[in-house]
Amino acid sequence: MSGTQAVTATPVQLPKQSTAIGSRLSRKRKHDPTAKSPLWVRIVLALICAAWVIPTVGLAVTSFRTQDDATGSGWWTVFTTPANFTRLTFENYSEVFSRADMGGAFINSLAITIPATVIPILIAAFAGYAFSFMQFPGRDLLLILIVGLLVVPSQVALVPLLKIYGTLGINGTLPAVWLTHIGFGMPLAVYIIRNYMSTLPKEIIESAKIDGASHFQTFWRLILPMSTPVLASFAIFQFLWVWNDLLNALVFAGQNAPLTVSLVRLLGQQGQGWQLLTAGGLFTMIVPIIVFLSLQRYFVRGLTAGSVKG
Amino acid sequence: MIKVLNALIAVLGGVAGAIVVYYLLNKLAELLPGRWEDRIKPYLYLLPALAAIGLYLIYPTIQTFVYSFANAQGTAFVGFSNFTDLLASKNFQNTLFNTLLWILVAPAGTIVIGLLIATLADRLRPGGEKLAKTLIFLPLAIGAVSAGAVWKFVYATNPPTQNQIGLLNGIWTGLGGDPVNWLQISTFRLNSFMLMVILLWIQAGFAMVLLSAAIKGVPTETLEAARLDGAGEGAIFFRIVIPQIRTTLITVFITVLIGVLKTFDIVYVMTNGNFNTNIIAVDFFNQLFTNNNFGYAAAIVVMLLIVMIPVLVFQVRQFRAEEAAR
Amino acid sequence: MRIRSTLTASATLGAVAVLTAGCLSDGGGGGGGNDNTSTTIEVMYAFAGGQEAGFKDEVNAWAKDNDIKIDFVQTGNFNQLINTRVQGNDAPDVALFPQPGIMKDLASRDLLADLSGVVDQGDLDKMVQGVLETGQVEGTQYAVPMSINVKSIVFYPKAAAEAAGLTQPPQTLDELMALTDKIAATGTTPWCFGIESEAATGWPATDWVENLMVSNYGADVYNQWVNHDIPFNDPRVLDVLNQIDQLLLADGRTNGGRQSIASNNFNTAANPMFDPTPGCYMYRQGNFVAQEGGFPEEVRANLDETVGVFPMPGKTAEEKPVLGGGDLAGIFSKNNKSAQKLVQFLASADFGAQSYGATGNWISPRTDFDVSLYPNQTEASIAKIAYESTAFVFDGSDQMPGEVGSGSFWRDMTAWISGQEDAKTALDNIESSWPS
Repeated sequence: MSGTQAVTATPVQLPKQSTAIGSRLSRKRKHDPTAKSPLWVRIVLALICAAWVIPTVGLAVTSFRTQDDATGSGWWTVFTTPANFTRLTFENYSEVFSRADMGGAFINSLAITIPATVIPILIAAFAGYAFSFMQFPGRDLLLILIVGLLVVPSQVALVPLLKIYGTLGINGTLPAVWLTHIGFGMPLAVYIIRNYMSTLPKEIIESAKIDGASHFQTFWRLILPMSTPVLASFAIFQFLWVWNDLLNALVFAGQNAPLTVSLVRLLGQQGQGWQLLTAGGLFTMIVPIIVFLSLQRYFVRGLTAGSVKG
Repeated sequence: MIKVLNALIAVLGGVAGAIVVYYLLNKLAELLPGRWEDRIKPYLYLLPALAAIGLYLIYPTIQTFVYSFANAQGTAFVGFSNFTDLLASKNFQNTLFNTLLWILVAPAGTIVIGLLIATLADRLRPGGEKLAKTLIFLPLAIGAVSAGAVWKFVYATNPPTQNQIGLLNGIWTGLGGDPVNWLQISTFRLNSFMLMVILLWIQAGFAMVLLSAAIKGVPTETLEAARLDGAGEGAIFFRIVIPQIRTTLITVFITVLIGVLKTFDIVYVMTNGNFNTNIIAVDFFNQLFTNNNFGYAAAIVVMLLIVMIPVLVFQVRQFRAEEAAR
Repeated sequence: MRIRSTLTASATLGAVAVLTAGCLSDGGGGGGGNDNTSTTIEVMYAFAGGQEAGFKDEVNAWAKDNDIKIDFVQTGNFNQLINTRVQGNDAPDVALFPQPGIMKDLASRDLLADLSGVVDQGDLDKMVQGVLETGQVEGTQYAVPMSINVKSIVFYPKAAAEAAGLTQPPQTLDELMALTDKIAATGTTPWCFGIESEAATGWPATDWVENLMVSNYGADVYNQWVNHDIPFNDPRVLDVLNQIDQLLLADGRTNGGRQSIASNNFNTAANPMFDPTPGCYMYRQGNFVAQEGGFPEEVRANLDETVGVFPMPGKTAEEKPVLGGGDLAGIFSKNNKSAQKLVQFLASADFGAQSYGATGNWISPRTDFDVSLYPNQTEASIAKIAYESTAFVFDGSDQMPGEVGSGSFWRDMTAWISGQEDAKTALDNIESSWPS
């Protein structure tokens, strides 16, 4: 999880010049976009891209190999030895579902990720509104507290939470996991949303006030709709973070193991066959890859959210 | 299926519940006389978020701090002995050393790779740039556990008498070397570096996206002027581009650094801290759940927090400077 | 203004800290064992693959007849996860412990049910005694064995090994050494040896040490050593390491040489035995290598014809101590009738008779189990080695504290075998890691 975990603690500050990633379109390019780049640039980049992609290709290929093949020869021999190619099979996938119950784990992952993603948005949006458009004593202090908490690792909270949940008797249930994610994700949610909202033109608020709208109405009718992009960015962050999380799931999910925990089980029993691990691994990646590819734009915008200024 | 249904009910209930709560809080505030209404309302809007933060982060942090001075079962206070015991143990010293190595190498490595890719990709045509960036960005989406599964097949080792199934050993033996057990050789901390490669693989895309945006933000006129003055590409990069994107470099560095300090899953999944690859977050988990030692576990987290204080201070100052510049 | 609010904040934090400081937990770290009366019970265990599949089949058939529903929860990192669940007051109803150390710890914190009123003494008397005893804390039975594995066995490729000189099984350790020399003298390597097991690399080496400890010095000294009544680096242990050096690590003794051992997976290390020209002739390992994931498929299909087994010999021909392990069933939900019924069933003569025994993935801990139910002669004779042993001792690293048993013992044996540490240093390191 360290990947997205790191990102969730990102108070991103970009220099003033780079107002937005899309701005390159309006700006004169340093290089003519139609001109060919030097050959060596393309070769070096192709090599880097290959190095980035080939490990995953190895996993994908192995997931279609038989157990004896997977442990007996490298996955790349599929491309050099025709016999290895013809033995490819879908059996690992059916087996990983029947033996490791990846289907059940998939459901658990969904049942954890959806509430953990959707519920905090509204809560954080209200807080973001208060921080951006309301004046009150202690505002700066609270905001700084939240910025500071972005850095605090969630490990600090595990033992006390385990005890609180234990007293309440909710350990090992799905809400125990998603409630935890809501709590841990809150500082980032408030931070990103507040940063975006404070860039919205203050005049809109003023004119709404003059028209007699209350804060509550302004929030619902004006600010929330205008903030859709940042809400989407946060949702994608949180979705990927929760989906890929291992630590909280290990500690709080009990028998309702999500995909990451099931995958770790497979990793721990490689004697039973590497090929199951690969099928499980690929299956675990599908949802985040789809989410990522289809919503990449918002994701990038989320990364640069701190820099979007009016 | 019932679970998904329950989850959807939780979502609808949660959102509806939140709306009702805010509506009621708002109504409550409106009952107050005007001056009080304006005073109270901001806090009411903040209340649920702050309650979540207080319950899930602030209270547990204090509790953990208290536990760090208590014994293994958390039943009696033992003063500083958790800290002194840990710091005196050779295993923990190794763990700290490894953590330090991660701190020194991983963020810097991520930046170098990210910067390299960002600079090169900037020279491609838009289509090629987008493809290259997407491919390199993708590992960030798949997460560390899946990444662990992927990299098992890179580092796998078989004895010399058998075929290699790990990519790295496939290449290595193909070049005539003897198979190397990459994750078990702790000489010069080779295995720790191998694990850092996985982090780098995941994080480089993140560095690339931010740095790429920053590089594109360097004013074209400045670059053109430098070219007219006869500066070489290398000089332009180091004397003009790097200073211009300094803030972003620092941001990326800090972010990856925070990620590194929290890194748990890569090491847990690949070696569980064995073969001298242990780092602080994994040691915490093992003290807590393998050795059942609350005191040590809490003390480790407190030390982690102490290490993070400079980062935290920097973060807050940075934020203040930004706000002042608004 | 700012200073004042900071002060207020820190004063508040301080007050909260003082308040919470008063509420250290009152011991144990959370209860365990939900006292439900439900007929749906959760069973947590560590075994996987075929062993798990066979277990589910056998138990589900029984559960159906008894109107009980079982939730099966498999977990690789059993010890960590059971601790997590117990600390979170969310223990399963029944747990099948792969290592008795953690079970004893939980029992001594009064979290497990006393089974003396649950399982008949008659059933307990039938169990392999060495395993049964590991389920006791100060004479009280908190867990009963429901499966065993046998580690004091040597596998060999029948035809090839006979041709190489293994005409009759060695009866003493000296004969084993002589046999090793004899095979090595023909220019082939006598032993297969691999200790790689991912994050758990090193445990197969600890089995060798434990096996030779009990073979050389008997069960009493062995148990003293495991319980740390004698130091870990006792001179006798150093002798055992030197014996391993002669037997396995010296030049020409192990297939692939000393350097390959740490990267050779324990499950597949024996596969060169079955090559046309065998790469090695003997492999000491638990019975589980003869299951799926271990020996190649075509070998397993013809196990009795292809593979021979003999027990690891003792000091003399009369002594037959056996090293092994097993899974022990304990109850967290102390008053749950369904959980009690399940454990009664697991301890009874019926368990395994229907289908589990025939899968080849399970050996009964009951000495009266009908060995003809096992699917092949090889497994029947392995089971008999356990049932007829003069002493059955439980895997020592599974009983030692986690820091040693699944930490320094694995780690330093790996370092010693791969030549990074000498034997004495390795043992001293392990001794110093023993928690006080």
